[in-house]
Amino acid sequence: MNDRVRGVGLPIAVAVLTLLAWEGLVRTLGVKAVVLPAPSVIVRVLLTRSDLMLEHLWPTFYQIVLGFLISVGGGILVAVLITYSRIVRNGFYPLIVVSQIVPKVAVAPLFVIWFGMGTPSRLLLAFLVAFFPMTINAAHGFQSVDEDTLRMARAYMGGRWQIFSKIRVPHALPHIFSGMKISITLAVIGVIVAEFVASQQGIGYLIVFANGTLDTPLMMAAITALSLMGLALYAIIAGLERVVVYWQAPSEPGAEGMA
Amino acid sequence: MAEAVTIDRVRKVYASGLEAIRDVSFGVGEGEFVSVLGPSGCGKSTLLMMVAGLLAPSGGEIRVDGTPVRGPRREIGVVFQSPVLLPWRTVLDNVLLPIEMLRLGRSQYLERARQLLAMVKLDDFAGTLPRELSGGMRQRASICRALIHDPEILLMDEPFSALDALTRDQMGQELLRIWEHHRKTVIFVTHSIREAVFLSDRVFVMGHRPATIVQALAVTLPRPRRLDIEETDDFNRYVGVLRKAIDSEGGVAPLPNLLPGLRRQSRRSETAE
Repeated sequence: MNDRVRGVGLPIAVAVLTLLAWEGLVRTLGVKAVVLPAPSVIVRVLLTRSDLMLEHLWPTFYQIVLGFLISVGGGILVAVLITYSRIVRNGFYPLIVVSQIVPKVAVAPLFVIWFGMGTPSRLLLAFLVAFFPMTINAAHGFQSVDEDTLRMARAYMGGRWQIFSKIRVPHALPHIFSGMKISITLAVIGVIVAEFVASQQGIGYLIVFANGTLDTPLMMAAITALSLMGLALYAIIAGLERVVVYWQAPSEPGAEGMA
Repeated sequence: MAEAVTIDRVRKVYASGLEAIRDVSFGVGEGEFVSVLGPSGCGKSTLLMMVAGLLAPSGGEIRVDGTPVRGPRREIGVVFQSPVLLPWRTVLDNVLLPIEMLRLGRSQYLERARQLLAMVKLDDFAGTLPRELSGGMRQRASICRALIHDPEILLMDEPFSALDALTRDQMGQELLRIWEHHRKTVIFVTHSIREAVFLSDRVFVMGHRPATIVQALAVTLPRPRRLDIEETDDFNRYVGVLRKAIDSEGGVAPLPNLLPGLRRQSRRSETAE
């Protein structure tokens, strides 16, 4: 019980104290809102201009979710190919790894030329940044079944498909969820960057717009809304993980390394 | 007695050129309990994996019920050194895994699975995940899994070597009880001399690499056997014979002559290493 309180209560306490210090410093030093708005100002903007927020949050939201889902599907598919096809594993996989050196956000303007200002180029960028960690995690999951387990399955006459569906897939699930938790945060980055580059709507657009008009409180409010959305998406995946990967002992936040 | 398993001049050379097994031949009768005893790394597990159809011999032939082994077969159940239970399956679902793999009707075997679990006193744990079981309980579940499809032959690869000494004795006794009940042909690989004598009808001693059979010994101790049989002179005579066979193979590093007392003690120690 005490550990639980410390696991959840302590970070919250630190966060609250930080916000209070921020508020206090901005007020006592008289920092202008253009430079750094106080948390209370940001909250007020969030509440008074919630219509504007939601209007721009929605396209960003569904593009993140869509980009994420495409990354998960594509990542798992490529992971299966890597696991089962020697040509993909030896021919394509090294190239995919090397291609990660290219800073993907730098390619964003190119996508606008190729695919226009619309949703496709944003989804593509989200996919490009979010797909790789999904692929390596899933591939590792499919391939890291230990030799003893595979031998056991073969001894009981398990065929290729049975070994895949009854052993590799469940074994990979914890790894797939690790990949998804990384991918969802990257999908957020991908969509926002694409909106920075070329867009008439979305939170990324709103941030650039607020920046252009030196409306720092609006910009910070947009960033806050975006962060809350990212957090919610992450929490959904983490919650799903607990249900799907039921056989893994739940790890309390911060429990690692404390034993 | 018909031969259930025939190992006929089997040889195994690994791709690396390492000769693990030079020439091993013996037959196992139907319903017979046979142990293969030898020091670690002598190739006895390799031999068992070849009987299971998981490895191909480099020479010679293994026959089960007269037909050559080409791959894993339905009439064989295997118990491995580690229980290898799937962590996402309950104990019951782990036991039923071979039924699913063999595409037999799960519902028809549900009752049998429960009976097997009851036999090893795991019936209260049917719905439990493996992570909540002790090492001994996990290995008992894996024995149930090996028996679920009612194979004629049970292959056991040092199944109790990871368990503590007390659990190990208990498991041996339990295994005999199961065997007397279900009467399978058993090939049991071990490096424990006492375990081999306690369990077996016959013991084959394998020497160092490249391995051959250096001694075959019929154990005619009366059955059913209980653990206290290990205190009898007859039992210890068998242990002595096998110990000598292993020692002559250099299974134990010779101790200096200055310590004759220690030397005698090591003869009575349990394992061949």
